[in-house]
Amino acid sequence: MALVKNKLQRWCLPLTSFALGLMTLLAIMAPMQAQALPAFARQTGQNCVSCHTGGQFPELTPYGRIFKMTGYTIGERTVPLSVMGVASYASVNNVSKSDTADAGVSTTNSSSDFYKNGEPILATGSLFIAGKVTDNIGAFTQITYDNYAQANADGSSSGHTQADNMDFRYANRLIDANRDLIYGISLNNNPSVSDPWNTAAAWMQYVPVPSPGSHQFIDGKAPYPGFGSGGNIAGLTAYMYWNKSIYAEVGAYRTADGAFRFMSQGMDDTSITRLNGLNPYWRLAYTREWGPHNLMIGTSGMLANVYDNSTDPTDSMAYNQIRNTGVDAQYQYILDPHTFTAQMHYMQQVTNYSPNTLAGASSFFQADGVTQVDPYNSSDTLNVFRAKLAYTYKAKYGGSLSYFNMTGTTNTLNQTAGFVDTSGQITMAPNQARITSNLSGNPATNGITYEAFYIPIQNVRIGAQYTAYATYNGASDNYDGLGRNASDNNTLFLYAWVAF
Amino acid sequence: MKYKEILLILALGLMGTGCSNIENSRDLGNPNVSAKTLAAQVCSNCHGLDGNSTSPVFPKLAGQQAGYIVSQLTNYRSHQRLDPPGSEYMWGLSRHLTIEQIDGLADYYSKQVPQRVNAGNVDPKLLAEGKEIFEKGVPAENVIACMACHGPQAQGMATFPRLALQHSNYILNQLEIFQNTQGRPGTPMDAVVHPLTSENKHAIAAYLQAFPD
Repeated sequence: MALVKNKLQRWCLPLTSFALGLMTLLAIMAPMQAQALPAFARQTGQNCVSCHTGGQFPELTPYGRIFKMTGYTIGERTVPLSVMGVASYASVNNVSKSDTADAGVSTTNSSSDFYKNGEPILATGSLFIAGKVTDNIGAFTQITYDNYAQANADGSSSGHTQADNMDFRYANRLIDANRDLIYGISLNNNPSVSDPWNTAAAWMQYVPVPSPGSHQFIDGKAPYPGFGSGGNIAGLTAYMYWNKSIYAEVGAYRTADGAFRFMSQGMDDTSITRLNGLNPYWRLAYTREWGPHNLMIGTSGMLANVYDNSTDPTDSMAYNQIRNTGVDAQYQYILDPHTFTAQMHYMQQVTNYSPNTLAGASSFFQADGVTQVDPYNSSDTLNVFRAKLAYTYKAKYGGSLSYFNMTGTTNTLNQTAGFVDTSGQITMAPNQARITSNLSGNPATNGITYEAFYIPIQNVRIGAQYTAYATYNGASDNYDGLGRNASDNNTLFLYAWVAF
Repeated sequence: MKYKEILLILALGLMGTGCSNIENSRDLGNPNVSAKTLAAQVCSNCHGLDGNSTSPVFPKLAGQQAGYIVSQLTNYRSHQRLDPPGSEYMWGLSRHLTIEQIDGLADYYSKQVPQRVNAGNVDPKLLAEGKEIFEKGVPAENVIACMACHGPQAQGMATFPRLALQHSNYILNQLEIFQNTQGRPGTPMDAVVHPLTSENKHAIAAYLQAFPD
């Protein structure tokens, strides 16, 4: 009871200031509502609920998916600009048992493992250039400013701006009594960002993730299905949707350099993802709608050759071959005043490590301090499963429940904590924070996220998530070897998400 | 590298200029796009290509009275019809439709054939009650028969809408709007439905959806 009281007291002030800040923000914005809608809403003149299920952006309704597949061209050309901002607050269950906590570093210092813990922050802001260009061409591009992107040596932090999701499209639709065919091409910078379903890897994680250390265990950082290549690469895909039944998309991705450098703008040359040649991506889905129900069952995959070291994209010994294969499904029930969505995605990732990677060896020993751990596996398999149930009422109130489970092969390559030979003591790999280290080399991580949200006006979403971990980095207890447990990472996360 | 980026932007820009595809356009601000094209490229997304919507959120327009469609599109365009979710979708879509486009859409949908919704098993008692109200009204409450204005086959007439085979969910929502809100001003329905009970409304909606041939 005393613990609960203490926690309440600890959260009371930040929560109050968070709420006050939010109310001020809402008070300023409320009169703008009628005029100040995001770019797509201005283009169609429609309310957000037309395209976003129960108003819970970014999840799309059946109509929203057609809007996207037809190249964002429904409506009339207008000012193609929108802005989005996220304010957030995160509180980690246990902020001791960390290197920086042991060293007495305050959570107000950017080098802290729990930087900004328990403090409301203005986290990220995005500028969208999005909308219809011609009858067949449209775009969705996002540039994001991250207020806490860089930690400075003096304990402060700095912001940084970078290219975010980009999707330029050409689309056409041939529709008559005999057939309905939508087809098009997408030039984009993130595998599956072109996908219209929100179980896609690029979309299933839906709340923007702030970067301070206190936010590193929020739901957005817990396992989600994803492609091994990551984003900020350049791809061209061709897609078709036939009779609102079969969706197929194929394409290929390459390094976002040269003429495509704008797709990785904001990253320096040494940090962009370097891919070897063209890397194929595919997607196939079957859909069916009946009454207020809508179902999609699909599969997707990608083969990516990703260089270990982005500064040398010529060494054939230096890239990992990553194969992703996924199955996903989404069911939506939309009938005013209720919406209900069930989503699942299972993604398997097989990584064949580069010869250069395998040439290394682990410096860790068994607990006896004498026997060296096994050499690296030449390949790893990672399985990520996500399932989410979400409900909204009157497009105002809602909640969701998510389950995540990541399993995979145990590999000393993934081991970032272990015993040293001289003392038999546990230590961390260089540059590894203890709280994210892995003693077992097993990636298993699973847990549940509970969420409640409120949409006071259609441009604003306020949410609370609580993410509880049963297993983290292969263990429920003492995953780092120094006493940190999975449940120590449980995190309360509050967010206010605004788009105009 | 800069010149390559400039070339790419120029190429994209060239693709974007002068590219009009009027036959398959989804442009709601272009008066030259035909009503038939708009019906196929835009309206069909919710109402179905032939006006038989799949989702009961959206009314079926197949076989609807042309006069009624014109009046509703005009009311949405002028914001005289306020009820959500209709206004949330339709204010924007109708805002720059021309009279010719509105007339064309009305003509197109009025000529489509309404299809029957498979509603599964509906309580026969509910259907019987709906039929009773449709044909005779609720005399004790001075509710007039639906068929008095909407016709014996619920086919509608001029600005009185066709109701036969409409989604029951849509009918029910509209009855609620007439009864409890000012969302659809300027019709006699506010007064007509005022005394209806919840059961009455469900019965009417179920009967109209299952309207006999």
